[in-house]
Amino acid sequence: MADAPVLVLTEGELRRNETFGRRTVNRGAVLLDCTWDGGVFESGVMVGGLFRSGTFLGGVFCGGVWLGGTWRGGAWERGFGPDGKYHPRTVHP
Amino acid sequence: MKVVLAAAHRYPDLARLWFRFVARDLLPALRSAGAEVEVVLFRDTTPEGFEPRSFPGATLLAPSFEALDAVEFHEAALERPGDVLFLLDPGVFVLDGEWVASLLGYFEDPTVAAVSLLPRAGPAGAFALLARRDVYRTLKAPVLAPSFEALERWPHAIYRQPGERAAMALRARGKKVVDGPPGASGRLADFSGATAIRIARELWGGLLGPRFETLLAERPDLAAGAYENLLLGALFRAVFGTPYAVSRGPMPFAGPGDDAHLSGSATPEELRTALAAIRDRKALQRLVAAFEGSNRALTRLAEREGLTRGALHLPPVLPRARILRARVRAAAKRLVRRN
Repeated sequence: MADAPVLVLTEGELRRNETFGRRTVNRGAVLLDCTWDGGVFESGVMVGGLFRSGTFLGGVFCGGVWLGGTWRGGAWERGFGPDGKYHPRTVHP
Repeated sequence: MKVVLAAAHRYPDLARLWFRFVARDLLPALRSAGAEVEVVLFRDTTPEGFEPRSFPGATLLAPSFEALDAVEFHEAALERPGDVLFLLDPGVFVLDGEWVASLLGYFEDPTVAAVSLLPRAGPAGAFALLARRDVYRTLKAPVLAPSFEALERWPHAIYRQPGERAAMALRARGKKVVDGPPGASGRLADFSGATAIRIARELWGGLLGPRFETLLAERPDLAAGAYENLLLGALFRAVFGTPYAVSRGPMPFAGPGDDAHLSGSATPEELRTALAAIRDRKALQRLVAAFEGSNRALTRLAEREGLTRGALHLPPVLPRARILRARVRAAAKRLVRRN
């Protein structure tokens, strides 16, 4: 059985320069320059920062680096792939 | 010589104001200098908002498979026939077209690959770049896109801003990239922070609600961008008579008759509240210094329109008593040092 999330981020929340692990779910928060490492990104916005691992189900990815993880849905505004190269709007990893 | 002026605009109102200066102050000067000029405008995200009659003579492009966004548009612009590609950020206004035209003289030196009108040393330097097209096209694509290097060192990876890798590669080949030629002061007006806060408000401001306002107090780049929009908005209203930077989304706290002016950036009330909340005296002083630079740039723009600052009805946003105290303190310190 999958672990229940221990941290649920919600709309109206703003997080900056933090790291979120695998038992985190984002449901609407805005993350500025954060590291996402293993959780489920259901909605909200990731601005800058590093997507190290986890699942992106929905929300907006804007200007960050996608190092690894699974892209299932959402809006790719712009960002960078694991090789550091630029990926334009809609061209998600 | 053919010059291709390429600019990517996300917001039709800023594009309209920007193009007014381009058409009046830049294009005639380039043509007088003997250049053939093509203007290519990329209408990022909302092409339908750009009225062609506001951009006479310009080629208006929209996102497509050839160019999905502004970065790809810059890349695609290199493919347009011409000798010099002039990339100009949406917030950079040309006040002295003759000076810009004179910079084409740099290309008489065959080793000069580009002239950056604004120094690009900072982390987010604005693009105002005259690039020799045939030389740039010898570089491996993507030529101008930003990138990251040394990601394994995150968070200390290296960010290369647009055009930086190209400049490095060209210099390594013995080419010259002139960075910030002398005489730029007063000839350009740089409002390059104005677009970033509008994008932030559009993409994620709605999710934050009132928290966005407090973020203005914490992020000087956003506060500076908000102030730039306040100034540009005042000029836009004086010139065109309509609101500027109107929010694209619903405004939860606005009544039906409320003025939407600046709601897509930060309203004067929001900025005033944010600035009043800044407790760090030095941070506020740095912001005030940035505001003063923007004020000077606005005065020059207004002069080109035959307007005085008074005619713009700029709303006060600074906590005047605190600014006055800070200035008195600074003056007292200078006096003590002198004695």
